[in-house]
Amino acid sequence: MSDAIRHRLTPLEKSERRLGFAMLAPAFLLLAAVVLYPIAELIRNSFHFNHLAQPWMGTPFVGFENYVKALGDDRFHEAVLHTVLYILVTVPGAVVIGLGLALLANQPFRVKWPVRLGLLLPWALPLVFAGLIFRWFFEYNQGIANAMLRGLGLEPLNWLTSPGLAFFAICLAIIWKSSSFVALVLLAGLQTIPKSFYEAAEVDGATKWQQFREITLPMLRPAIFVALIFRTITAIQTFDIPYAMTNGGPGNSTETLAMYIHKTTVDFLDLGYGSALAVLMFIVSAVITSLYLRHTRRDPGRH
Amino acid sequence: MTSRFTRRMAARLGLAAGLALAGAAYAQAQTTLRIFTGGQQRPDVMRQIVDGYMKANPTVKVEVEVGGATSEQQQQYLNTVLASKDSALDLILIDVIRPAQWAAAQWAEPLDAYLGAEKDAIMARYLPAYRAANIVNGKVIALPYFADAQFLYYRKDLLEKHGLQPPKTWDELKAAAQKIMAAEGNANLRGFETAGAPIEGTVCTYLVPLWGSGEDMLKDGKLNLAGDAAKKPFQLWADLKAANVTPPNLAEIPTDRIRQNMQAGNLIFGMTWGYVWNRLQNDADSTVKGKIGVVPLPGFTADKQATCIGGWQVAVSAFSKNKAEAAKLARYLSSPEVAKQQAILASHLPVFPGVYTDAEVLKANPWFEQALPVVQSARSRPVTPRYTEVSEIMRTNMNAFLAGTKTGDQALGDMTNRLGAIFR
Repeated sequence: MSDAIRHRLTPLEKSERRLGFAMLAPAFLLLAAVVLYPIAELIRNSFHFNHLAQPWMGTPFVGFENYVKALGDDRFHEAVLHTVLYILVTVPGAVVIGLGLALLANQPFRVKWPVRLGLLLPWALPLVFAGLIFRWFFEYNQGIANAMLRGLGLEPLNWLTSPGLAFFAICLAIIWKSSSFVALVLLAGLQTIPKSFYEAAEVDGATKWQQFREITLPMLRPAIFVALIFRTITAIQTFDIPYAMTNGGPGNSTETLAMYIHKTTVDFLDLGYGSALAVLMFIVSAVITSLYLRHTRRDPGRH
Repeated sequence: MTSRFTRRMAARLGLAAGLALAGAAYAQAQTTLRIFTGGQQRPDVMRQIVDGYMKANPTVKVEVEVGGATSEQQQQYLNTVLASKDSALDLILIDVIRPAQWAAAQWAEPLDAYLGAEKDAIMARYLPAYRAANIVNGKVIALPYFADAQFLYYRKDLLEKHGLQPPKTWDELKAAAQKIMAAEGNANLRGFETAGAPIEGTVCTYLVPLWGSGEDMLKDGKLNLAGDAAKKPFQLWADLKAANVTPPNLAEIPTDRIRQNMQAGNLIFGMTWGYVWNRLQNDADSTVKGKIGVVPLPGFTADKQATCIGGWQVAVSAFSKNKAEAAKLARYLSSPEVAKQQAILASHLPVFPGVYTDAEVLKANPWFEQALPVVQSARSRPVTPRYTEVSEIMRTNMNAFLAGTKTGDQALGDMTNRLGAIFR
C-alpha cells in the first residue's frame, strides 16, 4: 500500500475500510485457529519436556534442553543432510523437467487436452500413491526396473535396500511427481509472453535457441521464481514419497527431517523433542523463503 | 453481545441439550460399540464373531474398524486417536508388546472393576505368558484375544523328495536349503526368509538367535548386549546370506511377504507366525495346499530352541463412553468359545491350554499338538513404556545390517548406544 492512499481518507473510504476488515475477520480468525495457534503451541511445547509414554514425568519447563539435544543428535544431523540432498537434486531436477514439459505443452497442438491431462495427472495424484507406485517399480522381485535389467541379461539391483540406489529411486519419484506442478506454473508464465516478440526476433533472424535464451527465459523469470519457492518449500518438507517407498530404510539412510519429526512425535510420543525439531525446520523454511522473496523483490523480472 | 442474543443462544443450547438427552436415552436401548483391529488380524473372522455376539445381544451393535497392515502402522494411527482422547473407539486390539505402554499412557481402562470378584479365576485360565503380559502393576490392562509365536514353516513335499528331516538347528536348515535349491534348479526358489524390513517383526529377527545363544537383552532392567551372545544374531544372518540361503532383498521383506512367497511356492523355509497356516491351506491362490509342515524354530543346538511371543489383546479405551458394555464384549472375545472359533477359522493360536487339544481344532490344525509347548516357552520382547522407541532402534539397525549398509559391529554399537539412553 503506497502513502498516497494511506493519508486523508474520506469518511466513506473509512467506512469502506472498516467493512473490508470486518469481511476479512472470519478468514483471519480461521487462519489464527489453524495456523497461528498451532505454531504458538508448537513453540511452547518445544521448551517443555512432554513425553506421552511417560506421563508421570509431567510437562516441566526445560528451557533450551530440547534444542541442545537436537544439536548433539546424530540422527537429526543425518536427517538434515538427507533433506538438503533431496532439495539440491529434486528442486533443479523438477524445474528443468518442468520447463521442458511446459515448453512442450505450449506448442500449438491441435488437440490440447491429452498434453494438459498428462501434465495434471501426476500433480493430482496423492503423494503417497506416487510413492507406492514407484515402490512397486523398484521392488526386487516383481518390480519393472529389475524386470528390465533381467531382460537385458543384467543382474537385478537392490533398488530400495541400498542407500545410493534408494536415494536415486526416491529422487526420480519426487521429480516425476513435482515437475508437473512446476510445468503448470511455467505454462501460465509462457502464455503471458506476447507472440509479437517472437515474430520480431524471427524478422531479425534470431535462431530458436537465441529466442529461447533472449526472450523466453528472461520473460519467464518471475514464474520460475514462484515455481522455485514453492518447490523448495515442499522439498524441505519431503515426507510421503520416501515414507511410502523405503520408510527411511535401509537403516535410516533415506530418512528426511520431516520423517524424523513424525517418528519422534507420532511413534515415540516425544512431543517436546519433536516440537523442537519442528521449530528448527520451520526456521529453516522461513529463512529460505525470505531469501527468495528478497531476491524477487529486488529484481521483479526486468526486461 | 446483547442480552437478548445471549438469551436466544441459551434457549438454543437448552434445545440442543434436550436433544442430546433424548439421544442418550435411545442409545441406552441400542449401544453401538466400535472395535479397532488390524488388517492382518483377520477382520473377516472378527466380523463373524461379533455377528454372533449381536444375535445374542440384540441391544448392542458392534462396528469393526480396520486399519494398518502392520503392528506399528496400527499403533501410529492409535497414537493420534488416543493422544487426542478421542472417544470414537470403544475396544482396540493391541499387540502383546503394548500393554505396558498403554498402562503408562493411561489409554486402556483397567478392567479389574468389570471382572469383579471373578478376576483371579478369569485370569487363571490363560496361558501364564498372556496372564503376565496383560497385568501391569497389578491391574488388568487388556484381555488376550489370541496367542501367537514364530514357527518354522517348511515345504514338506520338497524335504521328503530330497530325503530330509525338518531341521532342528540353523546348520541343518542351511544344509537342507542348499541341497534342495541346488537339486531343484529353480531360480525363483528361495531358501529361508524372516522379516527384514524396518518393521516390528524384525525385532524378533534379532532376539530369537540372541535367546538361542542363552542370553537376554535385559538383565535386571539393565541393557545386556556387551557379551559375545549379542553378536551371534548378526553372525547367523550373515552366514545364511553368504550361503545364498536368504535372498538378496531380505531387507525389504515384511512379515506378510513371507506368507505370500511361501504361498506362491517360492520359499522352502519361513520363520513366521501362526496365522500363515490357515492362509496357505485355504486361500484360493495357494499353490502349496497340503505341502506345508510346521515345527518349532531351529536353534544353534537342537536343545536350545527359542521363539518370540506374539498375539493380540482386547483393550477397552479409557475414553470410551460405553465402558461397561465394552468390557462385556471384551470378556466375550476373550472366551474359550471364541478362541476355538478363531482357531478353526483363522488358525489363531488359543490363549487357553485346553483348546489346543479340542478335536475340531486339531482337525483344522494338526500342528497345534506341537504348538502348545512352543507357545508356553516363547519369550517376550523387552517390557517398557518406551517400547516403540526400543523397537525402532532395533529394527532400523537390524534392517541396515541386513541391507549391508552397516556391519554387525556397527549395528550392534549403534543399537547399544541408543538403547543405553533408554535403559539407563
